[in-house]
Amino acid sequence: MSELGPIDEYRDLFENAPCGYLTIGSDGRITKVNATLTAWTGFEADKFVGRRLHQFLNMAGRIYYETHIAPLLRMQGFFSEFALDFETAAGERLPVIANAAERRDADGTLLFTAMVVIKATDRRRYERQLVDSRSELQKGLATERETAELREQFIAVLGHDLRNPLAAISAGARILQRSGALQQQKELRVLDMINSTVTRMSDLIDNILDFARGRLGGGITLHRGARPLEPVLEQVIDELRTASPQRLIETSFEITEPVNCDRTRIGQLASNLIGNALTHGARDQAVRVGARTDSDEFKLWVANAGEPISEAAMQRLFEPFFRGEVRNSRQGLGLGLHIASQIAQAHSGRIDVTSTSDETRFVFTMPLTQTASSGTRASRT
Amino acid sequence: MARSGSVILIVEDELLIRMDSAEAIENAGFEVIQAANADEAIVILTARPDIHVIFTDIQMPGSMDGLKLARFVRDRWPPIKIVATSGLVPVEEDDLPAGSVFLPKPYRGAEIVAALRDLTGTA
Repeated sequence: MSELGPIDEYRDLFENAPCGYLTIGSDGRITKVNATLTAWTGFEADKFVGRRLHQFLNMAGRIYYETHIAPLLRMQGFFSEFALDFETAAGERLPVIANAAERRDADGTLLFTAMVVIKATDRRRYERQLVDSRSELQKGLATERETAELREQFIAVLGHDLRNPLAAISAGARILQRSGALQQQKELRVLDMINSTVTRMSDLIDNILDFARGRLGGGITLHRGARPLEPVLEQVIDELRTASPQRLIETSFEITEPVNCDRTRIGQLASNLIGNALTHGARDQAVRVGARTDSDEFKLWVANAGEPISEAAMQRLFEPFFRGEVRNSRQGLGLGLHIASQIAQAHSGRIDVTSTSDETRFVFTMPLTQTASSGTRASRT
Repeated sequence: MARSGSVILIVEDELLIRMDSAEAIENAGFEVIQAANADEAIVILTARPDIHVIFTDIQMPGSMDGLKLARFVRDRWPPIKIVATSGLVPVEEDDLPAGSVFLPKPYRGAEIVAALRDLTGTA
């Protein structure tokens, strides 16, 4: 540098700066271009001078220049960080980022426009990738939505296909029962067994489908309404009594306030808790079920006598696939309490457990909300 | 058991479910005709002008499911009342002809009987 005089130093800085540099006269024609830009584009300086900038841009660049850059420059006197594509002598695209500013004299007359051009191949590629990955992401989200719909359909159809044969078995048992053809104690016992097995299977299907929904991302959806809850609870208990005729289920209901809930779901929760009590409770003692509304809460409890739940089991009671120690084949998948707790959560409620040698008691508590939602059409299969 | 005289056509592909429902409806005093699919139902409807209500399952194999059958019946025999049932809900309101009754599966015998009495004015 010391070998160059001050003028030459500035000239060198202009010509060989690590950026392209050009000036455009007030007539819109290029007046100066530096060596860096001629090297990048492959056009000699004399090819630039006297011509208009847009002649060196590709089609997209030309349109953008005419419609955005030139008007904004006129209006505000500068325009910064805009992307442009030059077309090189070899016909290749040269993506750049540019800043442009007008220089005017004291009277405001335009002298020239100066423009700095920075090669932006990598940066523009990076930006392009960002745009691409965003559209990929959007595509992914759309696919995810489609998958969710398919999944919902699959679960609905699976539920239907599993329940339909079960409904046929149950209908067959009813026909036999109605006909009065079966009189022997043993035959009647078989009928009872068929009924109880159907109920068990049907509960299992409900729980498996809900578990699949939850695990596959659908979650438990509620269809709330404020229609009376008691008939649903009565029906659930009737079914369980039919399924376990040798067991006693005592009920006491004091539901005085409307309970804004998904009745089918609360029925399922009750069924799971009572089913659990029947499986694990002392067989020679009653299972007690109660439901009550306070001023701001709804409570449903299920109590049974028998061995208390061990401390270790207590920790994992609501985990999926947790199974207590049970002797007979009444064992389920271990989803009942898990699904019950999911239903409780969906209602902003909870299930508390106390277990002593006197009694094991599950209490479901949910707040009574006034937000009576409209979408009450059942969507369960 | 007093006969109401009303004739009910029940369309259900699952034999046991059809038999069970037919018995429940018969025991309530209706006359019941059974069909295993939409094609059978149409043959019966064409032959018998005295049917008051058609009670049809929605998911059925064959050339027509219950929704198509319901629309066909409404077009061809407008006075016949329609009750449809399905284990796959929700069934959109618009899917069934206006004035039809939808009964979600599983339904109880008493529910279908109540719906039929309502429609035939024999409550």
